[in-house]
Amino acid sequence: MGSPVFVGIQRILVAFDASPHAEHALDVALSMAGDMKAKLFVISVIRPPEPAESAEFHAVLEDGQERYEKCFVSLRERAKQKDIEIETDIVLGHPAEQIIHKADVVQASLIVMGKRSHTILHRWMLGSNSERVLRYAHCPVMIVH
Amino acid sequence: MTNTWALCALWVGLALAATLLAIWFKISTALSEIVVGTVAQLVIGVFLTGFFGFAQGGLAGNTQWITFLSGTGAIVLTFLAGAELDPVIFKTKWREASIIGLAGFFGPFLGCTAVAHYVLHWAIMPSWLCGVALSTTSVAVVYAVMLELGFNVTEYGKAILAACFINDLGTVIALGLIFSPFTIKTLIFVVVSIVVLIVLPFLTPRFFKKYGGRVSELEAKYLLFFLFAMGGLALWAGSEPVLPAYMIGMVLAGTVGKDHSLIRRLRTLTFGLLTPFYFIRAGSFVSVQALMAAPVTLIVLFGAKSLFKAIAVYPAVRIHKYDGKAGAYYTLMMSTGLTFGTISALFGLNHQIITPAQYSYIVGTVIASAVIPTMIANSFFLPHHLLPHKQAGKKAEKGVMRPVPAEEG
Repeated sequence: MGSPVFVGIQRILVAFDASPHAEHALDVALSMAGDMKAKLFVISVIRPPEPAESAEFHAVLEDGQERYEKCFVSLRERAKQKDIEIETDIVLGHPAEQIIHKADVVQASLIVMGKRSHTILHRWMLGSNSERVLRYAHCPVMIVH
Repeated sequence: MTNTWALCALWVGLALAATLLAIWFKISTALSEIVVGTVAQLVIGVFLTGFFGFAQGGLAGNTQWITFLSGTGAIVLTFLAGAELDPVIFKTKWREASIIGLAGFFGPFLGCTAVAHYVLHWAIMPSWLCGVALSTTSVAVVYAVMLELGFNVTEYGKAILAACFINDLGTVIALGLIFSPFTIKTLIFVVVSIVVLIVLPFLTPRFFKKYGGRVSELEAKYLLFFLFAMGGLALWAGSEPVLPAYMIGMVLAGTVGKDHSLIRRLRTLTFGLLTPFYFIRAGSFVSVQALMAAPVTLIVLFGAKSLFKAIAVYPAVRIHKYDGKAGAYYTLMMSTGLTFGTISALFGLNHQIITPAQYSYIVGTVIASAVIPTMIANSFFLPHHLLPHKQAGKKAEKGVMRPVPAEEG
C-alpha cells in the first residue's frame, strides 16, 4: 500500500499519447492501480488538424485509431497479468479538454499523465496540455517526469 | 532553360516545410501549404528571382507540369471528398438535407454575387465566380466538429453532414456549368456524365472483384482513367474537371468509398505528391500587396458570406424544428469552407474570370471562413441539450471512435 495520501483512490485516469513520457506515466499508473486495487482508465486523444481538410482529416483519424489500438492490446495484457481492471478509450478533440471531460465522466480520483518537454516557443504558441489539465481538472493530477 | 529537377526540389522542399509547420502548429497541411506558397512566392519573387535559373517569375506556378500535378491534385481530392459521403445517412435524411443544403448554397451564392457586383463594383462574371467560391461549406470541418462533440451519432449531426454534401454539390455544379456556354458539347457532356454515373456503381465493384487486389494497382489506374476521361470531357465542353470527379466520388461512396485500403493508397498518392502542388500553387497566386492595399474588401466578403449563409440557412433549419442555439450552431457549421472555395477561386484565376487581386480576396475569405465560424459556434452556440449523453459508452457508427461530448458549462 502506498502513502496515506493515496487512500481512497479507486479510479485512475491515464492520458496516453504513445510517447516515452506517456509510457512512463502508464507504468506508474499500473503500479499504483495494482497496489491500490484501483480501476484504470486509459484515454488517447486524436487531435485533428485545424481547419480540417477532408482527406487529411480521415487519414489522421484512421492512423490514430490504428496506432492506439495496437498499443492498447499489449496494455490490456499487462493489466490482465496484474489483475487490474482496465478500460481504454480513443477520442477526438483537444487533448486537455477531452482528458478533463473524461475524468468527470468516469469520476476519476486521480489523473496521471506524462510531461512532454516542449520548446519555449511551442509552449508560448500552443500551451502545454499537462498545465491545462493541472489548472482545470476537478481531481488531483499527477505529472510524471 | 528551366531546370525541372531544381524547380521540383524547390516545390517539394516547400511542401516539406509546410508539413513540418502543420505538425508543429497543429494546423491542417492544406492551410499550411497555402500560406507557405504565398510567402515563398513573395520572398522568391522579390528577392531571389534570377537565382539558379529556375526562379523566373517566382515559383513558376504556371509551368505546364506543375499545372498538371496541381490539377490532378484537385481532381483526386474532390473525388475523395465525394467518396466520403455516407449513403445510409443520406437516404434517411435526404429531404431535410436537400432543403437546408440548397438554401446553404443559393443564399451565399446569390448574396455574395450581389455584394461583389453592387458593393465592390466587380464586373458580373467575377461576381458570379465570387458567389460560387463563397457558397461552399466544408464537410471535413463539420465532420471533425461533429465527431469531437459526439454529434455524429445524433439525428441532428447526420442531417448537418448530409446537408453539407448537397451544399457542395450545388457549388460544384454551378462551377461546372455557369461559366461554360450552353452548346451541343455541354449536352454531350451531361448525357455522357449521366450514363457514366449510372454505370460506374454497378461496373466498379464487379471489375475490382475480378481483377483487383494485385500489386499492379489496377484499382487506382481504373479510377484515374475515369477521372481523367470525364475531366477531359468536361474541359472540352467548357466545364470544370472537378464536377465529374465529385459526382463519381459520390456514386462510388457506397462501394469504393468503403474500401479503406484503396482509399488509403489514394490518399498517399494525393498527399505525398499531388495536393502539395495544388495548395502551394493556390497560395502562390495570392497577392499580399493586394490584401494589404484593401483589407476592407476581405471584411466585406467575409461578412457577406456569413450574413447570407445565416439568412438562407437559419430559416430552413427553423422549419425543421432546430430553434435557438441548435439552429444557430447548424447555421454556423454550414458557413465553413476550404477546399471547394480555393478550387473555385483557382478555376476563376486560371480562366481569367477574376484578377489576381480578386483571387487574393476570395482565397483570404475562404481561409477566414474555415476558421472563424467554428470558433464562434463552439464558444457561444453549443447546443448542450442535443449532446448524445445516452450514447456515451456505445461505439460510434463509423470506426472505433467512441463519441465523447465536449466539456460542458
